[in-house]
Amino acid sequence: MRPEGRLKSIAYFFAPLLALLVLWQATITVFDVNPRVFPGISAVWHAAVTSIADGTLIQHIGASLTRVAVGTVIGIAISVPLGMAMGVLPAVATFLTPLMRFFSVLAGIAWIPIATLWFGYGFGAITFVIFNAVFFVVAYNAMLGVSTIPMRLRYAAASLGAGPWRTLTEVLLPGALPNIVTGIRTGLGFAWRGLIAAEMIATNVGLGYMLFMARDFYRTEVIVMGMIVIGLLWLLLDRLLLAPLERATVERWGMVERT
Amino acid sequence: MRSLTIRDLSKTYFDAYAGSHVDAVRGVSLEVTQGEFVSLVGPSGCGKTTILNMIAGFIPCSGGEIRLDGRAIHGPGPDRGVVFQSFALFPWKTVLDNVGFGPKMRGVPKAERDRTAREYLELVGLAHAADRYPNELSGGMQQRVGVARALANNPEVLLMDEPFASVDAQTRMTLQEELTRIWQERRPTIIFITHDVSEAVFLANRVIVLSKGQILDEVDIALPRPRVWDKLHEDAAFKSLSGKVLQLVRSA
Ligand SMILES: Nc1ncnc2c1ncn2[C@@H]1O[C@H](COP(=O)(O)OP(=O)(O)OP(=O)(O)O)[C@@H](O)[C@H]1O
Ligand SMILES: [Mg+2]
Repeated sequence: MRPEGRLKSIAYFFAPLLALLVLWQATITVFDVNPRVFPGISAVWHAAVTSIADGTLIQHIGASLTRVAVGTVIGIAISVPLGMAMGVLPAVATFLTPLMRFFSVLAGIAWIPIATLWFGYGFGAITFVIFNAVFFVVAYNAMLGVSTIPMRLRYAAASLGAGPWRTLTEVLLPGALPNIVTGIRTGLGFAWRGLIAAEMIATNVGLGYMLFMARDFYRTEVIVMGMIVIGLLWLLLDRLLLAPLERATVERWGMVERT
Repeated sequence: MRSLTIRDLSKTYFDAYAGSHVDAVRGVSLEVTQGEFVSLVGPSGCGKTTILNMIAGFIPCSGGEIRLDGRAIHGPGPDRGVVFQSFALFPWKTVLDNVGFGPKMRGVPKAERDRTAREYLELVGLAHAADRYPNELSGGMQQRVGVARALANNPEVLLMDEPFASVDAQTRMTLQEELTRIWQERRPTIIFITHDVSEAVFLANRVIVLSKGQILDEVDIALPRPRVWDKLHEDAAFKSLSGKVLQLVRSA
């Protein structure tokens, strides 16, 4: 992308956020809103500066991101091979599809109560929720990805001398990759929401916990600051990591006409 | 002399909708010698694709046997290259890597297989497209890549199932001329399936006419080479051979 194009896309990205800020401050000023109901921008800014200065914000962010990273990596490591194995046999894929759909939808917060029973309060339970959100969606998409690879591509590989292992690495994995990446993007979206909810219940550090504690002290400026951080972190993660990854596979290869 | 021997080949499908069996191929015997260019023609549904898929090893036969060079075939293998009607290029690989796929499977080092791939891309006139992805190519170009990919693996037999059916008439004629030229240069054994009679006659040394899963008749095509459409178009011998094959196909 050329510099001016990049600048433009950054402007498009921030313009609506800026508009929201203006609207926010105008509303607070015009209606003279009680800070216990909703804070002004300066109070939120102040909360951000203080929590950055005393290191607590970084601590919460660090705890949250670590859980997401661990849960996601474990989730991907297990779900990709499993999902692909299921996809190789059409009958297995057909059989498991409703089940995988069911668990994909259920994944995330619904597992929090049982996770706390299994793992107690803390890292284990929350990481499990993340793992769960990523696991089913990615496994389902990996399975879908493999089972929609046209049979003729497997035939082509076989008649060019590819054995089972080479077929896996040269055909099935790259062929399923666009679906896998889409699955990771969707799964991480579930995971991120599940994370915040789980942290409100099951821990004593992390962004969700920060929000929930602030509520007890009527610290609306901390709550709103936390919400903004949660949203921004997701946007950054999605825009800078996941979306480019998806573009690099799906669009480059023109995989739309693949069926 | 290496050869492909098909003896008493048959295939019965089970049609799940009708709940009945379909005899798609019934007792086909055929001998193809090394370096021969054979066309299989016949009306839609006469079993051409089924025969080719059995030779390629994609589907098992219900009866009879297929031997290549004396050995019975089991499953797909690099000794039988396939050019698919729908190209079947790997969308995630560049043109160069598609063509170099066979050599890669044989463990040929990168530099060497790239050289081989470029050589075959040159042969099909696509040297300039080496670094592109298949979805950036036209149908005719993709099919050329498909031909180059099969050839680069140096198979004993090249199996082609209506490879030029999905390109426009002009491109098709160019591809047909290129294929006869390549065949003359390299002399691979080719089994070429089509339902286009003039295509079969233009390309082959021998045209085999199929009807309802059986061989109806065969016609030797003793036309001189190189074959080019400008010359053959009005050629009396070409016309009479085409007429003869057409009559057989229509009686099928
Ligand atoms: N998988 C299958 N299951 C059941 N019947 C099949 C199957 N594949 C092919 N057939 C039947 O076998 C017969 C031969 O099919 P085949 O595809 O070999 O014909 P073809 O000569 O290649 O025709 P076309 O010119 O239309 O490609 C047809 O009657 C077809 O309906
Ligand atoms: Mg066919």
